[in-house]
Amino acid sequence: MQENHLAKWLNNELSEAELAEFKNSDEYASYVRIVTASENLRAPDFNEAEALAAIKNKQLLEQTKVVQLNPFKRFMKVAAVIVVLIAGSYFFFNSLDATITTQYAETKEIVLPDNSEVILNADSELTYNKNNWDSNRNLNLKGEAFFKVAKGEKFTVATSLGTVAVLGTQFNVENREDFFEVTCYEGLVSVLYNNKEVKLPAGASFVVINGAINKAQKPDALVPSWLNAESSFKSVPLKYVFDEFQRQHNIMVSTENIDMNQLYTGSFSNSDAKLALQSISAPSQIKFKLEGAKVLFYAEN
Amino acid sequence: MKTENKHNICNEKVFSDIFTAHSKTVFNYIYYKFGNEEKAHDAVQEAFVKLWENCIKVSPEKAKSFVYTVANNLYLNVIKAEKVRLKYADKTLKSTNENPEFLLEENEFKEKLEKALQDLPENQRTTFLLNRIDGKKYKEIAEMEEVSVKAIEKRMHLALKSLREKIDGI
Repeated sequence: MQENHLAKWLNNELSEAELAEFKNSDEYASYVRIVTASENLRAPDFNEAEALAAIKNKQLLEQTKVVQLNPFKRFMKVAAVIVVLIAGSYFFFNSLDATITTQYAETKEIVLPDNSEVILNADSELTYNKNNWDSNRNLNLKGEAFFKVAKGEKFTVATSLGTVAVLGTQFNVENREDFFEVTCYEGLVSVLYNNKEVKLPAGASFVVINGAINKAQKPDALVPSWLNAESSFKSVPLKYVFDEFQRQHNIMVSTENIDMNQLYTGSFSNSDAKLALQSISAPSQIKFKLEGAKVLFYAEN
Repeated sequence: MKTENKHNICNEKVFSDIFTAHSKTVFNYIYYKFGNEEKAHDAVQEAFVKLWENCIKVSPEKAKSFVYTVANNLYLNVIKAEKVRLKYADKTLKSTNENPEFLLEENEFKEKLEKALQDLPENQRTTFLLNRIDGKKYKEIAEMEEVSVKAIEKRMHLALKSLREKIDGI
């Protein structure tokens, strides 16, 4: 008899010989009886229509839920994207350095996040990071600026020629080509130049012209003269005086037969170009010719 | 119609057709396993609600095995089998002109059969009843139970064998 012959028998898969053999067995009658009786068994009633209706009800309930949820989900997606964009751009723009520049004949007054004040002279650029200003008061300066520093952590002004570090003070930094000047008006300033630290008390200046250090020139005012629309010089080569004139008045300077290393002491007006030209030329005994936005300085023969 | 069916259990008509075709068997299947009518009703509902929720993903060809899988997984090892109570089709009780003695004997036999069915292992009982009551082929049962046809034949064989042994008092 083959394997699982009872199952095969129910499925009419027994061979004739096998079937005959099975029919002859004692159990056969019992099996027939079991099979016949089991065919009359019924599972409990199952109301299909009712069950289907119940499912449709449930679907309906869930569909309403879905209708409510879906737009919300979509809204959340959009909202999430917007939040990410806003947060991203907030951090992006915040982490950017703030840069303030001035053109020729222009000054700007800047209030830093800690209420320190900076006045930027003409043709200058100031860069600083707004983001962590309170813990890291670092500025980069090209050109000239006057600082009124609020009390707080170390305040550092980095320039291409030297670094100035201060604690609660007022000082002026000028950093032009080959010309670096720091003047302290209040408090104490530390100047780092060529890895050497120089401490400037109130009223002291530190000037480097063409690599030559010139110290301890006393400013005669409480604030730099340029804040009062005047540029003043003490024993400064004419070259730098002309440069400053050009910056303050936006007038291109050219020269003829002039000793650019001649020292100049004095001041010129930053508001009146004619007056300024006279202030420069008279003590230096040179002449000038003003033509529109150009001026020519030439030597008297 | 066939092509329309193919991608659309989400179509209410198609869904109803599938329900009509399989819900009773799902119900019986779970009932034979656990003997609990309530759970069988729940299984049907759960299986077909899941089918509806996944109507886009499940092709109509896969719907049948999908509902059995869901129904099956629902009570996997969770509920203990209760007494499987089965009714008898009325005709056997009424339509005979047999003498009372015969009827008494017949009823006795049926009681024995029912008792023996309850004592069968769950998988043998399910296989036996699906075949005897619902007329399911071994192949169909094999698909529902996710086993081979041979395994079903074995269950069927063992079921018959132990039913006979119980009833004959061996």
